Amino acid sequence: MIKVEHLEKKFGDLTVLKDINVEIHKGEVISIIGPSGTGKSTFLRCLNLLEIPTGGKIFIDGIDILDKNTDVPKLRQKMGMVFQSFNLFNHLTVLDNLTIGQIKLLGKSKEESEKRGMELLKLVGLAEKADSFADELSGGQKQRVAIARCLSMDPEIILFDEPTSALDPTMVSEVLAVIRRLAKEGMTMAIVTHEMDFARDVSKRVFYMDEGLIYEDGPPSQIFGNPQKEKTKAFINRIRSFNYHIDNPDFDFYEMNAEIEAFCEKHAFSHKAINNILLVVEELIVLYKTQSEVINIDLSIAYSEKHNNIEIVFESTGREGNIIENAEPDDIGAMIIKSKTENLEYKRVNEKNILSMFVKKG
Amino acid sequence: MDFGSLIMAAATNKIDMISSTLMITEERKKQIDFSDPYIKLGASLFIRKNSPAIEQSGKMKVLDDIAGKTVGVYAGTIHDAFVEENYPTAVIKRFNTPADIILSLKMEKIDVAMMDLVSANLMLRTNPEIGILSEDALTLPVAAGFRKDNPELLNSFNQYLKEIKEDGTYDKMYKRWFIDDPEKAEMPKFEFDKNAPLITLAVAVGDLPNSAIVNGEHVGFDVELIKTFAERKGYNLKINTMEFAALIAALASGKADIIADGMSVTEERKKHVAFCDNYNVFKTAVLVLNKNLDSKTASVINSNETEEPFLENSFLKSITDSFHSNIIQENRYLLIIDGLRTTIIISILATLLGTFLGGLICFMRMSRKRLLLIPAKVYISLLRGTPVLVVLMIIFYVVFASVDIDPVLVAVIAFGLNFAAYVSEMFRTGIEGVDRGQTEAGIAMGFTKVSTFINIILPQAVRRILPVYKGEVISLVKMTSIVGYIAVQDLTKASDIIRSRTFDAFFPLIMVAVLYFLISWLLMVLLGYIERKANPKFKTYRA
Repeated sequence: MIKVEHLEKKFGDLTVLKDINVEIHKGEVISIIGPSGTGKSTFLRCLNLLEIPTGGKIFIDGIDILDKNTDVPKLRQKMGMVFQSFNLFNHLTVLDNLTIGQIKLLGKSKEESEKRGMELLKLVGLAEKADSFADELSGGQKQRVAIARCLSMDPEIILFDEPTSALDPTMVSEVLAVIRRLAKEGMTMAIVTHEMDFARDVSKRVFYMDEGLIYEDGPPSQIFGNPQKEKTKAFINRIRSFNYHIDNPDFDFYEMNAEIEAFCEKHAFSHKAINNILLVVEELIVLYKTQSEVINIDLSIAYSEKHNNIEIVFESTGREGNIIENAEPDDIGAMIIKSKTENLEYKRVNEKNILSMFVKKG
Repeated sequence: MDFGSLIMAAATNKIDMISSTLMITEERKKQIDFSDPYIKLGASLFIRKNSPAIEQSGKMKVLDDIAGKTVGVYAGTIHDAFVEENYPTAVIKRFNTPADIILSLKMEKIDVAMMDLVSANLMLRTNPEIGILSEDALTLPVAAGFRKDNPELLNSFNQYLKEIKEDGTYDKMYKRWFIDDPEKAEMPKFEFDKNAPLITLAVAVGDLPNSAIVNGEHVGFDVELIKTFAERKGYNLKINTMEFAALIAALASGKADIIADGMSVTEERKKHVAFCDNYNVFKTAVLVLNKNLDSKTASVINSNETEEPFLENSFLKSITDSFHSNIIQENRYLLIIDGLRTTIIISILATLLGTFLGGLICFMRMSRKRLLLIPAKVYISLLRGTPVLVVLMIIFYVVFASVDIDPVLVAVIAFGLNFAAYVSEMFRTGIEGVDRGQTEAGIAMGFTKVSTFINIILPQAVRRILPVYKGEVISLVKMTSIVGYIAVQDLTKASDIIRSRTFDAFFPLIMVAVLYFLISWLLMVLLGYIERKANPKFKTYRA
């Protein structure tokens, strides 16, 4: 249905998409994942020419959409798009958002399009909001209306550009539920998302994007369970880890702790383990601060399901040396760290001191 | 009690009668009732000649006393230059109509007024509190001005002057306007040959006897003189009204062929204007308030009779009188209606032109092509950085200098250009204020760029723009009050003309203020209606 050949997109000197070759078939649900800044959204926006590619070809049902003679607006009617920021038409009611395209583009009558609009609103559970305006809806409701608006054009494929990124965590699931329902009904979809669980459940194929390429393309079981390539592995591991960067002695300590706790709770760590992690992190930072003039720390906490262990990696710049060994023998901080962790290791790599350790869970 | 508190005491019923050599003044009459005067008191009796008290009290007896005073003159007249040259210590205030000068004198905004003797005598008749300090401060010949590049017309006119002086037409005309009461003078009927070459006469409608508008017709000695000329020599004549100060500029830029309004011949003017032989002399009167006039030298004006209507005056009666003289008499309401129509036409057409042009400029300004962007930027900064009055005059006197164009059209163009510069930036902020995502959503849905703009962006932008746009339209309406500068008779000019005849500030000004307010208010209501229409929430909540 969609065939992409050697797609390339540059913004000035910056190459965002290098050489993308891929085919999307009818009925497929594709999740596009990857670190930020690797061109996931750009790729999606190139498919309906919201961004004009600087090289390569895109065919939709065999038609080259970059050809000057192609009626692009007509083609776009067949490709719905759902945006991160919803983009409902603010001057129209919810129902009018669903009818404007049908009336002005598909040439349907007002009655016909309103009937179809109400059907779709029922589908996304918002029929009672038909006469409301966008600013009277919650984020989740807006996004569901936006999905219904796409459906009102009877598209052959819907492109989702991070549909839940701008939502409160409480509203993510209502939007995902609607997308799941569409997937079940056989709608062709391409979804850029950071919701890994959702991507694993709903999609037939997962594109892992990195370095401006579709770095790895495979079924979710492969990408999430057994990634083949180096960067995919690192990414999948990283999404299981917590990362925090500190470059200011007056950083927000409470915010960091709250984020660590949130990460721990997501992985259902024991209460004891959480306390140990917080304690070790705090003592590491105190030790580092007393021994170093500059403050530049990359902290990561990773959980491995396979080995069932929690690893803390403390990367810092500054003079070479193990801050724990350098501490006074009776330093209480160093003693706490030693007692709460095992397999403490120190390395010096690329002018950086790297301390790694496993936190005891009991 | 203190002298100073006497009147207050009477006014507040603390005492029933005051007797303390109290002079009757208008000011005091407002507070208390006077008995019939029982003694005439000359203020100068108490003051010695040349004492500091004279200087302080501001009493004047000779022309030279105007040194150091505030002197009101008719802008652009020779009085202006005369006072500046001879009394450098005097403060000069320039006015556009004799009526304004008299009013300012009465309200003591100025100490001394200078104007031609004939107008002055007329004014004295209706303004008893004013007296003449000097009757012949400056005497100069009066002539009509012609374009320097058109000597045929000038020669023809001089020939005509000789003829009428010989055949007695001139004497009859002169008697009617200058010796008899010019208020009662009647203009003869004129017939112009519509196919004959057209000449344009420009006048300032100062007042009778030279030139004025009565019953909607140009009348006066100068007007009759030139009308007679046009009829006799076979020309078609058109008369334009403009500020006195603008007459010479109009002639120089070809907007007029002849200018005449009791214009005296000076060296300065001769540089720009070819004058015909003089047909009159111009005497200057210097006017001051009687109370500032040294009683010994004051030319006593028959003030006793004229004060009478004032005595039995009630507020209601004065309003009625004022209404009658300012609106009914001489069909003056026609002037107001004409002026109102002109103001409305200019406002509406300039708004339409400006909105259309503003849209275009906004489109250019938002374009990425430098060829469109740069001119739009230059246009906006130029027009916003220039006073609209200057733009108006540049378009009239410079751009269309040699084109015969209706000044109303010039006003529409000038205000339209100015309005466009302001609203184009308003449109731009309105459009840029609409979230970029709205455009993307429209395009992603399958709308073209243009239909996205029309269906999605424009309705939202209009809603943002309207409140500021409303204010801009209203300020445009009020700004049109300066079109008098290019000889357009709008509402403000109509009130000027009426004031030049009635010397009443209150009624014409208040009435014009009310009319402007009504126009603005109606526009506000209309635009408010559109604003509600553009608000989708209003629509659905009503339905």
